[in-house]
Amino acid sequence: MRKNRFGSRTLIGLCFLFLYLPIFLLIFFSFNAGDSSAVWRGFSLQWYAELFHNRLVLESLATTLLVSLLATAISTVAGTFAAIGIYALTKKWRDPVLVVNDLPMMNADIVTGVSLLLLFVAFFHGWGAIANWLNSWQSLIRFPTRLTLGLGTLLIAHVSFNIPYVILNVSPRLRQMDANLVEAAQDLGCTWMQAFFKVILPEIKPGIVSGALIAFTMSVDDFVISYFTAGSSTQTLSMTIYSMTKKRVTPVVNAVSTLIFLAVLILLVINNIREARQVKLAAKRASFEPVREDPRVERFREWMSTPRGRLVRRVTAAVLCAAFLGTVTFLTAFTTSRPVVNVCSWGEYIDEDLITEFEEQTGIRVNYQTAESNEALYSLLSNGGADYDVVVPSDYMISQLIEEGRLEELDYSQIPNFEKIDSRFKNLPYDPENKYTVPYTWGTVGIIYNAALVEDEIDSWSVLYDDKYAGQVLLIDNSRDAFGIALKYLGYSVNTTDPDEIQAAYALVEDAYQRGVFQGKVMDQVFQTMEGGNASFATYYAGDFLSMLENNEDLRFVVPKEGSNWFVDAMCVLKDAPNYDNAMKWINFIASTDSNLRNMDYIWYASPNKEALELYPAWYEEQYGEELDPEIYAIMAAPQEVLDRCEMYVCLPKATRSLYNELWIKLGL
Amino acid sequence: MMRTKRGWFAFPYMIWMALFVVIPIVIMLVYSLTVPVETAEGEVLRGSLENFTGMTQYLSVFGRSFWLALIATVICLAIGYPVAYLMSREGPGFQRVVMALIMLPMWMNFLLRTYSWMAILENNGLLNQLFQKLGVIALYNRLTGSDIDHFQMIRTSGAVVLGMVYNYLPFMILPIYTVLTKLDRRLIEAAEDLGANASTVFRRVTLPLSVSGVVSGVTMVFVPAVSTFALSRLLGGGTQMMLGDLIENQFLGGAYNPHLGAAISMVMMVIVVICMLVMNHFGDGEGEAVML
Repeated sequence: MRKNRFGSRTLIGLCFLFLYLPIFLLIFFSFNAGDSSAVWRGFSLQWYAELFHNRLVLESLATTLLVSLLATAISTVAGTFAAIGIYALTKKWRDPVLVVNDLPMMNADIVTGVSLLLLFVAFFHGWGAIANWLNSWQSLIRFPTRLTLGLGTLLIAHVSFNIPYVILNVSPRLRQMDANLVEAAQDLGCTWMQAFFKVILPEIKPGIVSGALIAFTMSVDDFVISYFTAGSSTQTLSMTIYSMTKKRVTPVVNAVSTLIFLAVLILLVINNIREARQVKLAAKRASFEPVREDPRVERFREWMSTPRGRLVRRVTAAVLCAAFLGTVTFLTAFTTSRPVVNVCSWGEYIDEDLITEFEEQTGIRVNYQTAESNEALYSLLSNGGADYDVVVPSDYMISQLIEEGRLEELDYSQIPNFEKIDSRFKNLPYDPENKYTVPYTWGTVGIIYNAALVEDEIDSWSVLYDDKYAGQVLLIDNSRDAFGIALKYLGYSVNTTDPDEIQAAYALVEDAYQRGVFQGKVMDQVFQTMEGGNASFATYYAGDFLSMLENNEDLRFVVPKEGSNWFVDAMCVLKDAPNYDNAMKWINFIASTDSNLRNMDYIWYASPNKEALELYPAWYEEQYGEELDPEIYAIMAAPQEVLDRCEMYVCLPKATRSLYNELWIKLGL
Repeated sequence: MMRTKRGWFAFPYMIWMALFVVIPIVIMLVYSLTVPVETAEGEVLRGSLENFTGMTQYLSVFGRSFWLALIATVICLAIGYPVAYLMSREGPGFQRVVMALIMLPMWMNFLLRTYSWMAILENNGLLNQLFQKLGVIALYNRLTGSDIDHFQMIRTSGAVVLGMVYNYLPFMILPIYTVLTKLDRRLIEAAEDLGANASTVFRRVTLPLSVSGVVSGVTMVFVPAVSTFALSRLLGGGTQMMLGDLIENQFLGGAYNPHLGAAISMVMMVIVVICMLVMNHFGDGEGEAVML
C-alpha cells in the first residue's frame, strides 16, 4: 500500500477547507475593529475586552456550561447504570426498551422540544392544585404554587436527550466484555460492588468516556430543544446567538467562540499526543520488546500504590469532586440570585446601560428578554411557559391582552413619572381609561430605501409591488404590518374586518410574491440586509431606520402619501406577575425623563415623555457638540400632519385574526 | 448469573424514559386530535380530526422539506463517503488528527457558523465581492447578455441546502469512517488473493460491509435537515418555509395554534420513523454501529 497519497489528501484537505472556511472567518472578524462581520476595519482586541463586561453573553455562557456539565454528569452515571441493567434484561424486555431509547435520536429535535414543552405546560397546569393540597395538610415545606420553565426543565430536557447517547456508547463495550470475568471475580470473593469497580468499570471505561464527551458536545451545541424548554428567564449561549443573528451579532460572540474553540483545540492536541504515545507503547509491548519506561514514571507508579500514595489519590479525587461541585454552585449562584424582574421587549429596544443602572440603584436583577413580534409574544404568553412581569406590546396587542384578561392593573401611585407622559399618549383607544399601560415609545411605519440603488423619487407604497424592483424588496415578516400596508395602498382602513378587502390585500401581496418582487421576508434581519446594501427597499419602523442610517448614509425614509400606521408600544404588567412591586419600580425608572432621553438617543424611537421629547435636540447638542438634524428629528417624532395621514391599529375580532393567520401562512407555502 | 440479577438497574431509566419520552409524545397525540371550541363556559377541547384533514394545504411545505433534506443527504453522502473511505486508508497518526479536526467545528456554535455563511453569501457579501474582483460577474453578463451586479445566493433554496450540508457533513463522515476502520482487512486481502481487482473489492466487499455506517449517517443528516427552522430562516430568508418553520410558528411564532403544530409534528415524526425503519432494514439492524 505504498501509493501516492497526494490525490487522497487533496480531497480530504478540500473537505476541511469547506468545513473551516466560515470558522476562520469568524475568528478573523473577532479581531475586527468595526462591528461588521463582512467589512474589515483593522485589527483590535476590543471585543475580547468587552466580553468581560457583556452580561448577556457571560450569563448565557454560564448557563450553557452549568446545564451541560450537570446534564453530562447525570446522564453519564444514569446511562451507564441503565446500560448495565439493559444488558442484564432478557430479550423480551430489552428490545422494547432499546426502541424507546432510539426514539429521541430518531426524532427530530423540534418534535422532542415541542413534546417536552407540552408535557411541562400540562404539568404546570395541574401543579397549582397539587401544591395547594400539599400546603394545606402540612406546613413544613411551602411548595410554590406556580412553576415555570427554567433551569430545571432545561436540565431535564438535556438529560433526556443525552442518556441515549451514553447507553449507545456503553452497550457495545458491555457486550464485548467477557461475562465470566465478573463471575470469576465473585467466585474469588468479590462483592458485586467490588466486581463492578474492579472488573466492569475498567472494561467499559472507554465507552463511558466517549459517551460523556458526546453528551457534553451535544449539550453545548444544542439549540432547538433548549429553545423550547428554557422558558423566559433562562438563556443558553445558542439562544442568545439566535436572537442576535436576527438583528446584528456582536463580535463579542465571535470572541467567546474563538476562546472556546482554542480551549477545545488545546485539549484535543494534548489528547492526541497522549494517545500517540500510548499507541507506541502498546506496539512495543506487542512486539515483546522490553518496555523501557522512564524510571521516574516507574517509581511514581510504585509510590502511588503505597498507603500514602493511595491517600494522595483519594484526596485528589475528592478535590476534583469538590471542584466540580464548586463550579456548579458558582455557576448556579451566578445565574440565579437576587430579587428579579422579568422583562420581555423587542430586540435592541433599550439602552443597556439603563439596565445596569437600574440594577445598581435598586439591587433588583433584570432578566431582559426579547420577542420577535407581537404575535410571537402572544404565543409565548399563551403556551404558559413564560413568567414575565413586564411586557412591551404594541397598541392592538395590548387591547387583545386586556380583552382576554391577561393584564394586571397598574398601581400608578408607585409610578410618579407617569405624569410626565404627554396627554396625547394617554387614554388611547387600546386602553381608554389608562388603567393598564405606561407608553414606552411611539412612531410610524414607512418605506426605507437605498438612494444609491434607487433613482426614483419614492412617495408611494406601489414600489413594494412593482416589477421594476423585482428581487430588491424585503417584505416585513408579520401579517399585521404586511397586510396593513397593502390595505392602505388599496385605500382601505388598516382595521377593516371586511373579508373581501383583506382578500384583496392578500391577492396584491401574493401576486407580487409570485412575480418574485420580494427578496425575502424579514423582521430584525432587515438591519444588516439594508445596511449592507443587499436590498433596495424595506418597510420598517422609523426609529429602526435611524439606527440603520448610522451605519449606511445612503438610506432614506418616507411615510408614503397613501398613509400608514402609527403605533404606541407601552409597558404593561401580566396578570399574577411574580414580581409586581419590582415591575412598578422598573416601569417608573424607565418612564423618567433621563431614561427616556438616553433611550431615545440609543434606539431612536420617539419618547412619549413630553419633557424628554422637547428637551432632546438641546440634550443632543450638549452631548455631541453638534446640532441635531431637524429632518432626523422629524422622522423620529413625526409631526402632526404626518400622523394625520396615519391610522392606529385596533384589536381585530377573532374571526379576522384567524383569516390573517390563515392567509399569512398560505403566503409562504 | 449477573445477567438476571442486575436487571433492575434499568428500571429507573425506564421510568425516566416513560415520563420524558413516551408521555410527551402521548400528550402531543392528544393535542393533535383536539381543537379548542368556544362555549359559554369559555374554551373547551373537542376531539376532532380537523388538524389532520386541514393539513393538505401544507403539502408543498412537506414536499419542500423532504426534497431539500433529501438533496442535502445525497450531497453529504457523495462527499462524506469518499472522504471517510480515504481517511480510513491513511496512517493511524493522520487518522487521529483528522478525526479531531472533524469534531472540532461542533464546538463553534452552529448558528454562528451559519451566520458566517450569511456574510459570505450576501448580495454584497464576500463571495460576490470576490466574483466582482475576478470579473466572473462581468463575464457572466457578457455571456448571457444579462445585467446583474451580483448573484442571488442567499435567500434561495440552494443556500438552505448548503447550510444543511455544511452543518451535518461531520455526522455523515463519522459513522461511515468508524465502520470502515473496524472492517476486517483480511476480508479484503482474501478477495484480492482470489483475484478481485480494486473496484470489485470495493463493490463486493467494502461497500456492503459499510452499509450500516451509511444508514446511521443518513439518519443523522436527514432527520435534523428535514426539521430545521433556523437554517431556513437565516439562509432562506423566510422564502423557503420548511416543516420546522411551520411547527415553530404554531408554538412560538406568529400563528399560535399548538394543536395544529402538534398534528404536523406527529405526521412528520411518523414519516421520518417509517423512512428510518426502511433504512434500518437495509442496514441489517446494526443500528448502534456508531458514533466514535
